[in-house]
Amino acid sequence: MRISTPGLYQNALTAMLDQQSRLAKTQNQVATGKRVQTPADDPVAAVHIMQLQRAQAESDQYQKNSDSVTTRLNLEEQGLADTTTLLQRVRELTVEAGNVGTMSDSDRQSLVAELQARSQELMDIANRKDANGEYLFSGFASLTQPFSRSGTVSYAGDQGVRQIQVSPSQKIADSDTGDQVFQNITQGNGTFTTSAGIGNTGTASIDVGTVVNAAAWVPDNYTITFVSASDYQITDSASNVVASGTAAPGSAISFNGVQVTLTGTPAVGDSFAVSKSGKEDIFSTLDKLIATLQRPASTAAGKAQMSTAIGGALQQLDQADTHIENVRAGVGARLSLLDDASSTRDATNVDLQSTLSNLQDLDYASALTKLQQQLVGLQAAQQSYSKISQLSLFSYL
Amino acid sequence: MADMLSTGVSGLLAFQRSLDTTSHNISNVNTPGYSRQRTDLTARSPEPSGAGYVGNGVQVSSVTRLYDDFISAQTRNSSSLFQQLDTFSTQSSRINNLLGDSSTGLSATLQKFASAFQGVANNPTSIPARQTLLSQAQSIASQLQSYDSSLKSLDTQVNSQIDAETATISTLAKNIADLNGKITVASAQYGQPPNDLLDQRDQLIDQLATHVSVDVVKQNDGSVNVSIGTGQPLVVGQSYSKLTAGADQYDPTRRTVLLQTSTGAADITNNIQGGTLGGVLTFRSQVLDTTRSALGQISVALADSVNTQHRSGIDLNGALGQNFFAVGGVQVQASTQNGSTGTVSATRSNVSALTGADYVLTATSTGWALQRADTGAAVSMTGTGTSTDPFVADGLSFVVGGTPTAGDRFLVRPSINAVSGMQVLVTDPTAVAAALPIKTSAAAANSGAATISSGDVLNPTNPQLQSSVDIQFLTATTYSVNGSGSFAYTSGANIDVNGWRVQVSGTPAAGDKFTVSSNVNGKGDNRNALKLADTLNKPVLNGGKTSVNDAVGQYISTIGVQTNQAQASRDAQQIVYNDSVSTQQSVSGVNLDEEAANLVRYQQAYQAAAQVIKIAQTIFQTLIDATRS
Repeated sequence: MRISTPGLYQNALTAMLDQQSRLAKTQNQVATGKRVQTPADDPVAAVHIMQLQRAQAESDQYQKNSDSVTTRLNLEEQGLADTTTLLQRVRELTVEAGNVGTMSDSDRQSLVAELQARSQELMDIANRKDANGEYLFSGFASLTQPFSRSGTVSYAGDQGVRQIQVSPSQKIADSDTGDQVFQNITQGNGTFTTSAGIGNTGTASIDVGTVVNAAAWVPDNYTITFVSASDYQITDSASNVVASGTAAPGSAISFNGVQVTLTGTPAVGDSFAVSKSGKEDIFSTLDKLIATLQRPASTAAGKAQMSTAIGGALQQLDQADTHIENVRAGVGARLSLLDDASSTRDATNVDLQSTLSNLQDLDYASALTKLQQQLVGLQAAQQSYSKISQLSLFSYL
Repeated sequence: MADMLSTGVSGLLAFQRSLDTTSHNISNVNTPGYSRQRTDLTARSPEPSGAGYVGNGVQVSSVTRLYDDFISAQTRNSSSLFQQLDTFSTQSSRINNLLGDSSTGLSATLQKFASAFQGVANNPTSIPARQTLLSQAQSIASQLQSYDSSLKSLDTQVNSQIDAETATISTLAKNIADLNGKITVASAQYGQPPNDLLDQRDQLIDQLATHVSVDVVKQNDGSVNVSIGTGQPLVVGQSYSKLTAGADQYDPTRRTVLLQTSTGAADITNNIQGGTLGGVLTFRSQVLDTTRSALGQISVALADSVNTQHRSGIDLNGALGQNFFAVGGVQVQASTQNGSTGTVSATRSNVSALTGADYVLTATSTGWALQRADTGAAVSMTGTGTSTDPFVADGLSFVVGGTPTAGDRFLVRPSINAVSGMQVLVTDPTAVAAALPIKTSAAAANSGAATISSGDVLNPTNPQLQSSVDIQFLTATTYSVNGSGSFAYTSGANIDVNGWRVQVSGTPAAGDKFTVSSNVNGKGDNRNALKLADTLNKPVLNGGKTSVNDAVGQYISTIGVQTNQAQASRDAQQIVYNDSVSTQQSVSGVNLDEEAANLVRYQQAYQAAAQVIKIAQTIFQTLIDATRS
C-alpha cells in the first residue's frame, strides 16, 4: 500500500503513544501492587472484592464483639465463682450449726453474725457492675440496681438477655439475669420440701425425704398429723385424708410415691408438712437459715425443730450450689463457643485474605515481565522511528 | 521546424506545470486535509498530413486531486463513531474513578455504619458508641452528597459542552455553506475543479464529523448538502441551519439541541448520533442519569429500611425512635408547554416497588395516563388521584389538582433529589433507639417448662404497644390474654397483640403466666441495635429482593461494566478509524519520496524539452546558414 509521509510519522507516533499508555498502566499497577484499580478494570472482580472487603470488615467487628462478650462473661464467671465460694462457706457454717446437741444459743449467735455478713456479701456480688457502669445481673434494665432489701430481697431488673453477634449466624448472650441466677432455685429435692410444725412439742424431726415413685406424686401441700405417738394421718390441702397409718420411731412413712423418715418421738397433735417444691432465692434461703439459728433451741422439741430446719437448709444450699454451678457451666460453654467462633473466624479471615489477594493483588512476576516487554517494545519503536525518519530521497538529490 | 519548436515549448510548459504541482504537493505535505494533486497531461490533437497524423506536443488537461469520496465517507463515519465512543468512555471513566474506589467507596462507608450499630449493640448505654454511630451516619450522608454534587457538576459540564458543540457545529455549517458558494462559482468559471477549495470544504466536513455524524450528498453544481442525526438538513447549498442549545421542556437547567429552521426550532436531541456531541448526549442519558438515579434509589432504600427499624425501637430516654435519615422527595416538573393550572404532586408510597425509572404523567381527555420516560411504555395506575385516594403505580402515589387541559405533561423523577435532601435527623446520641419498646418475662411461680421469646415489634404506632399484657395459661393447651378469651396453644406459634409479636414454646402448666410489658428502663437492651446492624442486608428494593448492600454492588458493577465496555468499544473503533485514515491517506496523502522522484522525472523531461527547442533552433540556424552563403 502506498504510504503518505505524514501518515508514516503519524502511525509511528500513534504506536508509540499506545505503547506509552500501556506502559503507564502497567507501571501504575506495579506501583500500587493492585491489579484492579477501578471497577472498569474487572467489573466482576471489583464487586467480588467489595463483598470480600465487607466480609473482612464484618469479621473485624465480630472480633470486637467477641472481645466485649468475653470481658462481660469473665466478669460474670468471677461473680459466680465468688458466689460458689460463699455458698461453700455458708454450708460449712450450717454443718457446724447442725451439731444441735452440742451447740449453745450463744455459739449459734456467732455463726449468725458471720452468716449475716455473708448475706450482705452475696448482695454485693449480685449488684456488681462492669467497667461501663452497667449492672451485670439486671437484664435489659442495666442501669437499674437489680437487688435491694427492704425486709426481703427483691429483684428490680428484668428477664432480658443481651445477645451479641459474634459471627454472621451466631449470637451469644453476654450475661444471665439476676432472677435466673439468684432466684430461680428449685426448692427441696425438686419435688417436695419437708418442715416441722411450729408448735410441735415432741422430739421428732423429719428428714428431707426421697421420691420413690415420681409418677405417683400428686403435687400438693400435705400435712402429716399425729393422732397418737405413732398413728398418723396425711391430709392434702383440701383436708382430705390421703393416707394414714402407724409409724414406729425411725421408720419411714410412704404415700403418693414419696417417703419421709421421722427420728424421735412425736407428740400427739404434732404435724409435719410435705409441700410441693416451688422456687426459692438464695437470699431468702440465707434469711431463713439466719432466722432459724436465731431461735432458741434449748428444749428437746426446739432442738428437733432446729434439726429439721437445718436439714432443709443444707438441702437448699446444695440446690443453690448446683444451680450456680449450672449457670457457671453455661457461661463456660459460651466462652468455649466464643473460642470456637474465634478459630472459625481466623480460618475464614485467612481464606478471605487469600481470595482477596488473588482477585485484587498484582502478580508481580508476570507484571514485571510485561513491563520489561513493553519497555523493549517502546524502545524499539523509538529507535526504528528515528532510523526511518532519516530516510528521504531528498538526501540523495 | 515551427512545429518542433511549438511541440518543444508545449513540453516545456507542461513539465513546468507538473513541477509546479509537485512543489505544491511538497509544500502542502503537512497541511491538514490536503489531497495530493496531479497534473493530467494529454497529447495535443495531431496534425493531419499526407503521411498520416503528425504529433503536436502535449497539453495540460487538468490538475486533479486524488480523492476517493467513498473512502472519505467511510473515514468520516468511523471518525464520528470513534469520537462518540471516545467521549463516552472518557466521561464514564470519570464516574468510574470517582465512585469505584473499594477502600473509600460507598460500600466501605456503609459497612462502617453497620459496624457502628454493632458497637452500640455491644454497649447500648455508652454515649461514645452512640456518638460514633451518628458520625458514621453523617459520613454516609456527606459521601452520598459529595458523589451527587460531583455528578451534578458533570451534568453542568455536559450542559456547557452542548453549548460549545452546538456553537462549533453552527460555525462549521456556516463555513461549509460559504465554501459551497465559492466552489460553485469557481467550478462554473473555469470548468475545472477548484481542488484546494474542495480540500478545505472536505476538511470542514471532516471536522464536523468529529462533532456529530454527517450524511453528505454531492450536488451537480459542485456544492454538497450535509445532514446530521436522522436526516435533519444542516447545510443545503449555500444556506445553512443553526444548531443551538435549548432548555428541556421539563427541566430548564437541562440543555437540549435545537435545529433552527425557517419554520422554527426543532428539538433534535434524541436524533443526534455520533461525534463528541453524540458521545456527550449518550453519556448523559445512559450513564449520568442512571447513576444519579441509582444513587438516589440507594439513599431511599437506606433511609427507608433504617427508619422503619429505628421507629420500632426506643431510645435511651425510653421514647420511641424517630426517623433516622431524611431524603429528598419526588421531583415533579411541569412541561413549559402546559397550558393550564393543572398540578401534580408525588410521593413514594412503597419503596420496594420503586423501579428507578422516571415517568411522564399526561392529562388526557378522560383522565390521566402514566408512562415510563425511558421506554415510553404505559404504566397502569390504581386510584382516582385525590389526596385520599391517590393514583398509585410502581411504588409512587400521585395527587393531581387544578384544571389540567388534555395534553398537559409532567415529568416525575422519583430518585433524582433523594440524595441532595439527605440528612441525619438523629443528632442526640441518646435518641438512638437501640432497645425494643417491650420486654417479656415469665412469672417466677411458673411450674411448667414453657419459655417466652424476647418479642418483636410489628407496629410501633399501636397506642397500646407498651401496655402490660399477661398471657396466662388456663390449661396446658389454652391461654387467655389479659384475663379474657381462651386461645388454643401451639408451641412456638406467633402471638400477636397490641402491635407486638411473641412466641411461647415448650410445655406450660395451667396457671403459668407470661407478661409482655414496657421496656422503658431497658437501657441495656440492644435488640433493635442488632436488627439495625443487619438492615443493610435486608432485602427492600426491587419487590423485596435487593438489599441496600446488593444495590451498591449492582451499581458498582453496572458502572464497571459500562466503563469497561465503553473502553473496549473505543479501542476497537480506534483501530477501525486508524485503518480508514491510513486508507484515505494512501490515496490522498503526499509521499515525499514519490514527489522527489517526480521532481527528478519532470526536471529531466523539462531538460529534454529544452533540448528539443535547442535542436529546433540549431536546425533552423543550419537552414539560415545554408541559404545565406
